[in-house]
Amino acid sequence: METNKPGRGFWVTTAILALISTAGILYFWMIPTVEPWLPPEGGHPGDQVDWLFRFMASTAAALYTFVVGYIVYFAIAYRRRKSDPPDALGFHVHDNTKLEVTWTVLPTLFVVLLSILSVRIWYVLQVQPNNGLVVESIGRQWYFTFRYPNVNGEVANEMHLPVGVPVTLNVTSQDVIHSFWVPDMRLKADMVPGMINTIRFTPTRVGRYQIICTEFCGTAHSTMDKQIMVVETQAQYDAWYHGWQVRNANVSNALPTVSTGTIDLAGGNAAAGQALFSQKCSACHALGPFTQRIVGPGLRGVLHDPTHPNLVDGDPATPANVAKILQNGYTGSIGHMPNQSDNGLSNKDITNLVAYLNSLR
Amino acid sequence: MSVIAEHGGIAEHIHPEPQGFIRKYVFSLDHKIIGIQYIITAFVFFILAGLLAEVIRIQLLHANGGFLTPDTYNEVYSVHGSAMVWLVIIPMLTGGFGNFVMPVQIGARDVAFPWLNMISFWIFPVAGIMLFSSFLMGAPVAGWTEYPPMSLQGAAGTSMWCAAIFLVGVSSTLTGMNFLVTMLKMRAPGMTYTRMPLFCWGQFATAPLLMIATTALAAALAALFMERQFGVPFYDPTKGGSPVLWQHMFWFYSHPAVYIMILPAFGIISEVVSVFSRKPIFGYRLIAFSSAAIALTGFMVWAHHMFTSGIAPYMQLPFMIITFIIAVPTGVKIFSWLATMWGGKIHLTTSMLFALGFLALFTFGGISGVFLAAIPFDLHVHGTYFIPAHIHYVLVGGSLMGIFSGMYFWFPKMSGRYMSEFWGRMHFALFIIGFTGTFLPMHYLGAMGMPRRVATYDPQFQYWNQFETIFSFVMTLSILIFFINMLYSIRRGKPAGHNPWGARTLEWQIPSPPPYYNFKHIPSVFGLPYDFTEPLPYLHLEEELTDSPVPVGAHS
Repeated sequence: METNKPGRGFWVTTAILALISTAGILYFWMIPTVEPWLPPEGGHPGDQVDWLFRFMASTAAALYTFVVGYIVYFAIAYRRRKSDPPDALGFHVHDNTKLEVTWTVLPTLFVVLLSILSVRIWYVLQVQPNNGLVVESIGRQWYFTFRYPNVNGEVANEMHLPVGVPVTLNVTSQDVIHSFWVPDMRLKADMVPGMINTIRFTPTRVGRYQIICTEFCGTAHSTMDKQIMVVETQAQYDAWYHGWQVRNANVSNALPTVSTGTIDLAGGNAAAGQALFSQKCSACHALGPFTQRIVGPGLRGVLHDPTHPNLVDGDPATPANVAKILQNGYTGSIGHMPNQSDNGLSNKDITNLVAYLNSLR
Repeated sequence: MSVIAEHGGIAEHIHPEPQGFIRKYVFSLDHKIIGIQYIITAFVFFILAGLLAEVIRIQLLHANGGFLTPDTYNEVYSVHGSAMVWLVIIPMLTGGFGNFVMPVQIGARDVAFPWLNMISFWIFPVAGIMLFSSFLMGAPVAGWTEYPPMSLQGAAGTSMWCAAIFLVGVSSTLTGMNFLVTMLKMRAPGMTYTRMPLFCWGQFATAPLLMIATTALAAALAALFMERQFGVPFYDPTKGGSPVLWQHMFWFYSHPAVYIMILPAFGIISEVVSVFSRKPIFGYRLIAFSSAAIALTGFMVWAHHMFTSGIAPYMQLPFMIITFIIAVPTGVKIFSWLATMWGGKIHLTTSMLFALGFLALFTFGGISGVFLAAIPFDLHVHGTYFIPAHIHYVLVGGSLMGIFSGMYFWFPKMSGRYMSEFWGRMHFALFIIGFTGTFLPMHYLGAMGMPRRVATYDPQFQYWNQFETIFSFVMTLSILIFFINMLYSIRRGKPAGHNPWGARTLEWQIPSPPPYYNFKHIPSVFGLPYDFTEPLPYLHLEEELTDSPVPVGAHS
């Protein structure tokens, strides 16, 4: 009859696992940055999130080493051997109150500690800074736009922020749920139509960071990762900010609505149309031939393609009919194109876009 | 004519076995046949949804996709997720193993409501066919979660999805009610709650979850269906609805649903680890009560899926802390299984190997769950590939490994034959390798910046995506081996006798496959089923067996 005592191998194994666990813990606390596991960190409180990651990863590594180590060790050391009788049994042990209390209480203490640490960092995320920049971002299918204080209308393409200034970023959406994520800042908020969610952070490192949508938002969701958050010096930021103030000086702050009646197409500026195309159309339309489809067809020569004399709604491809689709959108069996309001296009924007599309051959 | 006799306070009442193929195998009232029907149907849907998974991996071979259009790709992963959750894991573990094993384990002749059981089953394949038929009219695209307003824009198949999931929910609810009444009212004399096998405790904790949580999902689905078909504005914010309302309702179901998918698997693992360690399960009471504790707290954590969605900041905290707390009873279970192995005489059968694999992989998934529960870290990885990585570790590494373990364990009871141990080990080895190669790198990809549900992605992530796709084929190969092994063994496997593993729960004390009425006499129970050194704690079982017992360990 065997005794119900762990053998020497058990304690040797435990010592080895303790060594490996210690190495794991040391690894996650000694590496200078967590960059092997997370993208480069660009702001506050991203640094605190990284600290929490170190804490959780080191504990997890230690715990997991023990669990897997014991599984493997037990499976080998206590396996039934050929020499054992077929009906051999293991130790007759039902339970051990001391052990059970230990492995209930220790994890509970860990949970208390982890809760305290998490709540402390959570609290930092909720505190409104006294002096800082308040920016808004609006998600649309499938791009982001931005609003800055004292800049009329919307800022397109890139979002610029001065380094070291606390930012309160209010996000919402105009159509479906999007999510605003900058991996380098470790922060994210869903852009929910009809709601405003807030991200508070302070960028501390100059750089260009990808803005990624992480909530599924339709056909071209995968392409909604092309826009950049630029963190730059105060002087560079001021220059950029002033540029948009001048550029948008005559823009209305009201959201564009779908205008009634036909749009006057005279005096379109093809260069302005080209800039608009890259902001508002290129997520779904390539500048290639008709067959180069992203979501909609390629638009090179949309007005000058003898093999496709008609538009999607069956009307002949004329500038007025293209303007009509830009104005009202189109929904049919092949998909959905947002209307003027959903795309945030003014009448002037449509005039410029038609002029640009007409210039393509 | 039925025979009625008083025996040990229980009416001995054996109905004659129905004759004819239709009554016996198609519209059967027998819980064992219904259980096998569930398992076969769920495996058919598993193959279909698994093929969709391979389509997903092929699309992701290249950063620019190109195998499918983005819209088709979105349909594929949405149906993959929905089918795996509602048509595979839940029916397999509750309707399948629950039906086959639980009534016998508590010493009953059937579930409390056999007709209801048959109806529950037959709703399920109909709902499954409806879900897959949504491809014909434009399947849902917004993932298995179908958040509005996105799902309001979806094609007609989204409404079909609502109806299919609603129906499968009806089936689940009825099954949960049926099981709960069975376990409350039909236990054999002496089968007290603290003598119930732990598999039954898993089902006992799951049944109320099925009954209560699924009704919330049904309400949410009905509202989504009405909004899509008749324009009733529950969720559309432009008409005064709330998109976040759906998320609350959906996760109020879907978080308990992950415990619906794991508690029965915990039960399987408890049986398997004890039997193959030839040792009593360590800490029976703590394992049983921790199942109940997990089921209860599982209702209080749903909003941890919504830390980025926009809920009141102070409401986030209790959800985070209660989620952390769930780690305690889960940890207790894992430590108890480890302690059961300690000092055992461990038979490394395929079933046991899958149980060990379950321990290793599920623990990993549980730990990444704690990472996700911490709000500051969740704000970074929410909506990225870290989430698919976590869910596949708990649902594939956890629930599916539990299903495989249970399949190798109870196959001899279902068929009277062993599955091949050699091919079982091949299945295990390839599955572990394929699984780890497929899902482990996803944690890294998510943390580094790859969002989920994308048809194309940043080229910097291409290396690991190709790596994952290659390993996903290894996993597929292992599952092919499993199916061939199972189909071959049904007729050609080595005869296994009635108790090949030397197990002590009641289902192993009657012939394999069990007779229609399970027990000639309802047994009386006077102890736990895990004391290997004691005689069996059952009375009135002596006349049941006609075959000569096969010695333990004959499989190898």
